[in-house]
Amino acid sequence: MKNYAHPEVLVETSWLAEHLNDPTIRIIESNEDPLLYDTGHIPNAVNIDWRADLNDPLIRDYISTEKFAKLCSQKGISPETTCIFYGDKSNWWACYSLWVFRLFGHSAVKILNGGRDKWIKEGRPITKEKVIFPETSYPVPTTRHDHEIRAFYDEVLQFCKEKRGPLIDVRSPGEYTGELIHMPEYPQEGALRGGHIPGAKSVPWKMAVKDDGTFKSAEELSKIYEEGCGVSDDKQTIVYCRIGERSSHTWFVLTYLLGHKNVKNYDGSWTEWGNKVGAPIER
Amino acid sequence: MEDLPKSLRDIISTFEVLGEEERREMLIAYSEAYSQFSPKEDERYVLTDVRKDEECTDTVGVYLLSDEEGKVYFRMHLGPHVQTLTKAMTSILCQGLNGSFPQQIIEMPSTFISKIVGGELFRIRSQTVYYVLGRMKNACKQLLNKNLAQNGH
Repeated sequence: MKNYAHPEVLVETSWLAEHLNDPTIRIIESNEDPLLYDTGHIPNAVNIDWRADLNDPLIRDYISTEKFAKLCSQKGISPETTCIFYGDKSNWWACYSLWVFRLFGHSAVKILNGGRDKWIKEGRPITKEKVIFPETSYPVPTTRHDHEIRAFYDEVLQFCKEKRGPLIDVRSPGEYTGELIHMPEYPQEGALRGGHIPGAKSVPWKMAVKDDGTFKSAEELSKIYEEGCGVSDDKQTIVYCRIGERSSHTWFVLTYLLGHKNVKNYDGSWTEWGNKVGAPIER
Repeated sequence: MEDLPKSLRDIISTFEVLGEEERREMLIAYSEAYSQFSPKEDERYVLTDVRKDEECTDTVGVYLLSDEEGKVYFRMHLGPHVQTLTKAMTSILCQGLNGSFPQQIIEMPSTFISKIVGGELFRIRSQTVYYVLGRMKNACKQLLNKNLAQNGH
């Protein structure tokens, strides 16, 4: 029986319920719905808005290392704090925020298995009270780890031309085939061309979770990604979606649950590729 | 603003003086009140339009009541995955538009929405904020067309 490579990165709702006041952790909610945290959240959870808090408003990139340090300080996070992320949409944005924290070198990160929906379905406590934790003095990271876990357009282009390893498209089948040029329900967030990056295999992010939003077993995940896509330690894997949120979810699965060290998230994803002049597309 | 029903103008005036944090709190309060505009068992609707559109994450149902003067009253059903901002706009628009004439609703400009939602949320959810108003206007158009057909025109 295969086990998760890093089972410690997942916490269950029952565990979290008993650690709400644990001073060594910070519970972080990250949602797609920008008002959802304000309607009620897990006690002692802080909100990190993937767009307002983590993205630079002018350049398509993440905030500076100085701003990241300030954000962590304001949320009461120190470099030793274990950040436990959860959110709506089966943890899409929780995984995205976790991935961005890793870009800045914060490696003590975990995901609440099943996310916000599971916590609420189980009737666990929700509050509107916003706790303000004492500020920490989070040091400004000396570097960002983009080269380790983030892929850029030029790199993906070479990767697909040279067929260096698995390239996984985690969008819906309709987006992959080019029938849709946007994510279902988001017609204004599309691209000029539909299709997929040449050579990419379609494995929608949802393949990794059960109906309740919790992750499938290591054995099931191994069949999907290792046997089905050829993900292995001897070659690099790149995952992408529309803007990098759904692919963060798959990146988390491959990196932590299956334990592959050479996985990158192409967060430029289809909104960059499908709009880029001259980018090759397959349908 | 003069083109808008008075109830809606009053709501807009309230939002216009709020800071970003208070505005969010007010939107949450409206989102939590949307169920008071849910369809009721004993009501008979002159028009029912229930569908799942691409622009919204779940099903939205618009139900119209009409009085003897021809004024309309909205009831709305929102699926469980509808986002908080959509719930808030539903509540605001039901409160602000109930008792208006269909033609008045159809002709209303939609520029007021940014005054309610505010710059930051408007920017990141531009596709969501117009959706409910669009559905309400569409229901009014359907009703007018239905009335025209029934009157033999």
